[in-house]
Amino acid sequence: MSITVRKTLPIVIVFVIAVVVMSDYFLVLPPVNDAGTSWTGSAVTSLQNWGIILTAFSLGFGAVNLFFFHSKHISRRTPDQWYYSLWLLIVVVIFTVIGVFLGPNSDQYSWLYNASYFALSATVYSSLGFYMTSGVYRALRVKNTESGIFLVVGLLVLAKNAPALTVYFPVLRDIVSFITGILTTSAQRGIMIGGALGAISLGIRTMTGRETGFLGKLTEEERGGAVG
Amino acid sequence: MSGQSIWDRLENIPREILYGILLVVFVIPMVFPLGLPVPISSNVETWYDTIEALPPGSVVMIDFGYSGGGEPELGPMAVAVYKHLFRKDGIKVVAMSTSIEGTQLWDRAMDEIRPESYDAVYGVDYIHIGYIAGTETAMAAIGTDLRATTSTDYHGDSLSQFSIMDGINGAEDFDLLICYTTGGDQSEGWVRQWVTVYGTDYMCSVLAMMVPTMLPYQDAGQIISVTSGAQAGEMESLVRVPARGIKSADVITLTHILVIIYVLIGNVAALMKRGGNS
Repeated sequence: MSITVRKTLPIVIVFVIAVVVMSDYFLVLPPVNDAGTSWTGSAVTSLQNWGIILTAFSLGFGAVNLFFFHSKHISRRTPDQWYYSLWLLIVVVIFTVIGVFLGPNSDQYSWLYNASYFALSATVYSSLGFYMTSGVYRALRVKNTESGIFLVVGLLVLAKNAPALTVYFPVLRDIVSFITGILTTSAQRGIMIGGALGAISLGIRTMTGRETGFLGKLTEEERGGAVG
Repeated sequence: MSGQSIWDRLENIPREILYGILLVVFVIPMVFPLGLPVPISSNVETWYDTIEALPPGSVVMIDFGYSGGGEPELGPMAVAVYKHLFRKDGIKVVAMSTSIEGTQLWDRAMDEIRPESYDAVYGVDYIHIGYIAGTETAMAAIGTDLRATTSTDYHGDSLSQFSIMDGINGAEDFDLLICYTTGGDQSEGWVRQWVTVYGTDYMCSVLAMMVPTMLPYQDAGQIISVTSGAQAGEMESLVRVPARGIKSADVITLTHILVIIYVLIGNVAALMKRGGNS
């Protein structure tokens, strides 16, 4: 495949679409229809709907990929793995058949979801509480000034998050409010602004073809590097 | 083992003992609720007041953006807020899901709420327009043109047959947006796609560990109130619908105190050991 098809064309498509979507965010470009919507408005609505359809499609594609991946484990009898893969595919088939033929809002599908996935998911998430308790007990130790500060702040936040304790010690609320409202928020804001600037620069690099990760594996020549 | 001092043992309590005591402390208040006091924090109060101030005819969008793992924390909050909305006159509640499990979890919430006990009718007072894939793309699309994005509710019935949807076409037709989520993509995405673009009033309830990441938005005035699902007991107290949240408040208090005790024991033991060695 030529470099034009593999690299130039996708970058041009990304650039044009990005410009249209961004211009709709900031500008009302003529011609404008009776409802006050510019031509970019309806174009962006269509693009967003394409995005939704593609995301939904990718979920189905993911399921197919899951089948291929785990079928290999089953056919090769991968030690300590193949029976988990088999069980996974059985569950996928059961959910899919019931979802497709009886509907994802049917009583049967809801029962299946509530009795299996929901219960397991909530259990796994809840069990983190035990690991975290053990982890906090072992990790939160005073070894130097920094860990001492960490310990004090950790204990204060823990105490504040115990609802009844703040009734008996209202001062906890003021202290933790200062920690979260001033210290944490200002640090968090810096992180967020940094992340946003990174996202903007990544967007510009992608639009201008300097970031080619989304194009898949390219040769050195296609990437614009030295030709060997 | 016999050569170990008491401080050695307290510094390295086996995890089985830590887990065992935690389990006991967890189970007791679940079986025998203690009724410990639950203070109302300002964020929960702001949330409650915002809903109280909604005039009849207001339209509220609720995103069920959490997964099954987060249901024990966020479910009670969603239920209490729905009950509050249903108790008010003439509020229309449109729900959608940015999480693939959202529709199932909405069904669970409805089983707990029992809308019929508030004379709320599906399609007239409340509706669920289903899971819309794409997270931020879905938010943007629904905001721009809801009907172009989805034409049916989550049962597959046409939206045009439900009176609640009359005149609702996009973000500008909603007076309030509420999001329950276990993911930052959703809680922050609504700020980017609805609050910034349309100026929609927005409140979100997230996992307790996510609250610090959302507070900058609240301080900037982009979110009216950020609460954690763990504060469901406070909401239930305000709305006067005691349920799972109040029960959890006892558990949260006792388990947090236990963790504090664990940490103090570990540190005292380590200090005493260090003192003995020197």
